[in-house]
Amino acid sequence: MPTKAPPPRVDGGAKRNGPPARTGRRARSGGAGRFGPLPWIAPAVLLILAVVVWPVFELVRTSLMEISISGVVRGGAGTDKYRKLFDETGFGQVLLRTVVWTVVVVGVTMLVSLGLAQLFHQRFPGRRIARWALIAPWAASVLMTAIGFKWMLDRTAGVLNTLMLDLGIVDGPRDWLGSPDTAWPWMMVVAVFVSLPFTTYTLLAGLQTIPDDLREAARIDGAGRWQTYREVTLPLLRPAFLVGVVINLINVFNSFPVIWAMTQGGPGNDTATTTVFMYRLKESDIAESAAMSVVNFAMVVVLVLIFLKVSRWNEEDG
Amino acid sequence: MNARTALIGATALALALGLTACGSGDDGKNADGSTTLKLVAADYGDSKSNASGRYWAGVVRDFERKHKDITVDVQVVNWNDIDKTVRTMVQSGNVPDLVQTGGYADKVADDLLHEADEVLSPRTLKNLDPTLAAAGEVDGTQYGIPWTSSTRMLFYNKEVFRKAGVKTPPKTWDEVAGAARKIKSSGAAETPYALPLGPEEAQGESLLWEMGNGGGFTTKNGRYTLNSSRNAATFRWLRSNLVKPGLTYAHPAGTDRKTAFADFAGGKAGMVNGHTGLVQMAEKGDVDYGVTAIPGKDGALKHTLGVADWMMAFKDGGKQEQIKKFLDFTYAEKTREFAETYDFLPVTRDAFREMKEDEENRSLRPFFDQLPGAKFYPLGDPVWDSVSAEIKKTGGKAVQEDPAKILGDLQKKAEEAASRR
Repeated sequence: MPTKAPPPRVDGGAKRNGPPARTGRRARSGGAGRFGPLPWIAPAVLLILAVVVWPVFELVRTSLMEISISGVVRGGAGTDKYRKLFDETGFGQVLLRTVVWTVVVVGVTMLVSLGLAQLFHQRFPGRRIARWALIAPWAASVLMTAIGFKWMLDRTAGVLNTLMLDLGIVDGPRDWLGSPDTAWPWMMVVAVFVSLPFTTYTLLAGLQTIPDDLREAARIDGAGRWQTYREVTLPLLRPAFLVGVVINLINVFNSFPVIWAMTQGGPGNDTATTTVFMYRLKESDIAESAAMSVVNFAMVVVLVLIFLKVSRWNEEDG
Repeated sequence: MNARTALIGATALALALGLTACGSGDDGKNADGSTTLKLVAADYGDSKSNASGRYWAGVVRDFERKHKDITVDVQVVNWNDIDKTVRTMVQSGNVPDLVQTGGYADKVADDLLHEADEVLSPRTLKNLDPTLAAAGEVDGTQYGIPWTSSTRMLFYNKEVFRKAGVKTPPKTWDEVAGAARKIKSSGAAETPYALPLGPEEAQGESLLWEMGNGGGFTTKNGRYTLNSSRNAATFRWLRSNLVKPGLTYAHPAGTDRKTAFADFAGGKAGMVNGHTGLVQMAEKGDVDYGVTAIPGKDGALKHTLGVADWMMAFKDGGKQEQIKKFLDFTYAEKTREFAETYDFLPVTRDAFREMKEDEENRSLRPFFDQLPGAKFYPLGDPVWDSVSAEIKKTGGKAVQEDPAKILGDLQKKAEEAASRR
């Protein structure tokens, strides 16, 4: 939603260069003008208060309460729920798994997308159609895609199972999603698959901003293809690359539908990331689930802070 | 979008958010002096044609015709969400008057429910099946009003048994494993015994096997014994006799009951523990099946597992009289219709008798016979619902990993929950 409102043209819009004369403006406009930009940003501020700040406050408050399984608040619980959360069997593994999940899925997505973007940047017949086709996994709901893969991998009826069997890759139908060892890689494949279109398009847009003459100049100077790519294209692609990384980091970290649709984090909590784990805790203890959410929230904040630092470094460097 | 529309839009959105955040509670008394009862019920249907909403619409229509001063507002919620929905309602102060779902005791712990005799006439109360009524008690007082029930038996595919050369249905664990081996070696069915220990109903399948070894979830006086040596031994037996030799699913902890039922109804499984609902499924799938008592370690179970779903009345709205009228009406006139729609066992004595004698229901008769004497989950224990939720999450892993560790964790959680009470 555009938040930049055009400035009120109280001074007749006479001054084209430089900011409008402050004194003249204040003198002529009464009423609303006294509040400066406040009336313009107030709705946005209210909205942020209502949909961001208030839920966070409620979340933290809930995590400090004792709430019975039937939903009755029984009073304060202090930090009990956090202690209970950290004591959960396998909580450490869930955290570790979340880190591995985020790093691997984002890493693979970025690498594959770099290649794909390069490919789609080339001129070839049918490029337009190929570019459209790339949007398909993006346009389909993630949940639908995940459910689709779940059934394709089905033990008895799955088309992927049948295909692998016919190609001799496996020697019998396998229950891919039943065991964490095989479910985990498959879910990563699906998560990468649904992240590719967005990332590829971001990188493709970045590639298109790089003028061809730069590469030409490099070639004339005697740089090889790989050297040109590494020393000309990649550095110039950095802004687009960083945007891709950050949005994917947050998306993948919070990725719920893929895991939920395919294994629900099971068996046990063996394929759960923190987001899925939080949802599962809701079944037995809503306050503990809120505590998990707070921890999740803190992790996302840290993630964003790290990004801000990295991107500023990028500005100074570039 | 110009600034003005943006401002109006944003303000409207902010207002809407603010307004929905503070929903108003009302006492259900309408302007014309009539009362509205709010009922939240689980959906038992698996398609549009048998959705529970249809059943309730019929009940409400007939009830409102007799009682002009009461309207009933029914909300049917699917099984996955109903407990969360009710919890949210309670938490936000928007408490329904009646809820029909799987468990009641957690609400007794918070003193939310009417006692059964406050909302049922003596006649209705006396008409309830005594086994089920007793399962509705917490510390000797009945709060849970049974709504529907079923019992568990072993289903076996007769054609698969014939092909595999299994002469008689198994009575002991060793006979189950023996039959499964024959089915596997003859290739008569893909899954010889379907063992669903996934989150859908890990607690049911676990308990059936544990009961066969003289184990169970609690002692007689209600103390949890989830990690008893008999229970652990049960899972060790399952692992080495069914899972490892490949006589059941490769990953039982990730396999839900609906998969097992679908496999059986599709002729792909040789044996499965099932309830009355599977009768209809198997008949639809043209499976020539038989049922027999649940096999135990040394002989078939004398008392099988009974499962019941519950109706409960909330005190919050102060509509005791209206609730009583509605429940008396529903239990007197609509119990059988519900049981017949979904192939469950009815909870009232008269409907039970009528249905059992009806030729139409002869395939359900073995299940009727099992109900008196059936054993139940510790339904009357206020922490059972959270214990059950934990078993569903991780209990199935006991068959794939060290049962002592998995069951020990569950026991720890159960004891913690009990001590918090």
